[in-house]
Amino acid sequence: MTTSPQENTSVIAAQALTKIYQRGREEVRALDAVSFTVARGEFTAITGPSGAGKSTLLNLLGCMDAPTSGTLRLDDREVHGLDERARTELRRSTVGFVFQHFGLLPTLTVEENVVLPALFARRSSARRAEMLLEKVGLLHRRTHRPHELSGGEMQRVAIARALINEPRLLLADEPTGNLDSATGYSIITLFQQLNAEGLTVLVVTHNAVMTAAARRQLALRDGRLADGK
Amino acid sequence: MNWFTLSLAGWRQRPLRTGVTAAGVGLAVAAWFSLLSFQAGYRDGMKNELDRLGAHILVVPKGCPYDAASIALHGASWPCYLPAAYLDEVRAAPGVTTAAPAFMTALHEGTSTNTVYVGVDENFLRLRPAWQIRGRFPQATNELLLGAEAARRRHWQVGQTVPLPGLTNATGLVSGILGPTHGAEDDFIYLRLADAQHLFAHPRQLTHILVRLADPNALDRAVTHLRGCYAGMDMNIVPLAHLFHTIQSLVNSTRLLLGCVAAVALLVAAAGVGNTILMAVAERTREIGVMRALGASRADIFRLFWWETMQVCLAGGTGGLAFAFLASRLLENWLRARLPFAPVDALIRWEWWAAAAGLAGAALVGSIAGFLPAWRAARLSPVLAMRSTGGDA
Repeated sequence: MTTSPQENTSVIAAQALTKIYQRGREEVRALDAVSFTVARGEFTAITGPSGAGKSTLLNLLGCMDAPTSGTLRLDDREVHGLDERARTELRRSTVGFVFQHFGLLPTLTVEENVVLPALFARRSSARRAEMLLEKVGLLHRRTHRPHELSGGEMQRVAIARALINEPRLLLADEPTGNLDSATGYSIITLFQQLNAEGLTVLVVTHNAVMTAAARRQLALRDGRLADGK
Repeated sequence: MNWFTLSLAGWRQRPLRTGVTAAGVGLAVAAWFSLLSFQAGYRDGMKNELDRLGAHILVVPKGCPYDAASIALHGASWPCYLPAAYLDEVRAAPGVTTAAPAFMTALHEGTSTNTVYVGVDENFLRLRPAWQIRGRFPQATNELLLGAEAARRRHWQVGQTVPLPGLTNATGLVSGILGPTHGAEDDFIYLRLADAQHLFAHPRQLTHILVRLADPNALDRAVTHLRGCYAGMDMNIVPLAHLFHTIQSLVNSTRLLLGCVAAVALLVAAAGVGNTILMAVAERTREIGVMRALGASRADIFRLFWWETMQVCLAGGTGGLAFAFLASRLLENWLRARLPFAPVDALIRWEWWAAAAGLAGAALVGSIAGFLPAWRAARLSPVLAMRSTGGDA
């Protein structure tokens, strides 16, 4: 099989990506033949109303779920046909996740939360965790637990955690959804900074500032890509 | 951070519930461990008692054979007596190599302690070949042979004339002191049979006769003969091996019942552990989803919850062993007061294999109880888990 030059430089290459859920006897087409690519170093925002298929798309891109049909290449690896174990391995090595609700484990310290993905990847991580915490400005909070942090600080920890395994792609699901606008702005700035350093960022968002900050916007409506810039 | 500390963090989310669950495992393990320790201690204690007695048959006045054996071994006053003339009939029984007559009584000394006096003759020495005597066995009137502990407690020495404890105006000459036997005999005071009969006003009477046979396999024949003879009407012929076997069987029946209770306790503990971890899985569903998103495989999730279960069970098991160890003295006293026959040696004996078996039992409970919750956690779809409202993550 040959690959085009575009595929070689893209982190995401989705072709006719379709996801159909069965709700009782009813068939729900959450994604309908979505095709797009995301090049290395791009900062892409995916927007759309609730139920448009944004989270479904994010789950497929994060190898958390398998498409019903269509093909998906992630960091030049074909996802279609991979079993559960291989998808986990690909997710572990390629993708960093940031969630709206932060997803920090409450009994772990800031530092332990950051190194958690490295534990799953069997990588040593202490020095990188320190570097990342310094980068997000929370090194002095390394021994604190999540309940001792503000929302913005928790999201910064989550971002540091997403970067611990040096992913090619950062996926974020409404990262400013639980933050006030000032805190949200600081997170947007952090995403811009990471993107400027070369990290590919794809954000699902309703935040207009975040959408504007992204270099490219994709709008999803009823499981289809409405337009793209 | 490593897998161990990550599973410890799981505990910390629900410390009280985890503590109660671990305590359930601990109690079950404590019950198992105590039962195993008792089994070892009691069996060996009984064997040692039999070895120390050095006899195959105990001839006592009519009455309860268990009480008689206990009195003869541990020392006390007898409620009734045998005519000394029966000794000849006992000696005439087939296979008897030694028939050692004894007269035993116990006197109060002060308020709490008893002094046990045992009148014996040289035949008794044939039953105690391992005895080490500093000085000599009593040969003349008023001579005494002291048990090691009896001499040590009173600071008496060989050659010393001493007042006889519990008696007024009576003295004896210490002719010998026994080396430690680690049995009840260490507290006894031995004197000549005739002296004891005279001193306690029971001339020509005995409390018991210890009989040794040339061939222990001929026990039944000798017992049948003794029970059939004329004196047999007034004597209780107690084959000691049979007696100890009967006592052991009685105790075994009780132990079997207790073993069933301990097994039920272990099953209940396993159900408790399984339920606790299932609840934890339900409550931490979103956390599981987050971990899957962060790169945890199904095997990682299984390992995490399984290891968490093992930690609860092993911590409970270790606590249970410590509790059983600390409570062993109380349990020993409680058992001693209730058993039909309790050997002098420790009833509850710490055995490393029993402790290891207790911990292995806890680990087994953990393995079995943790499997289903861990498997369910591992099978959770990461997408559905992320949508769940369960958990703080």
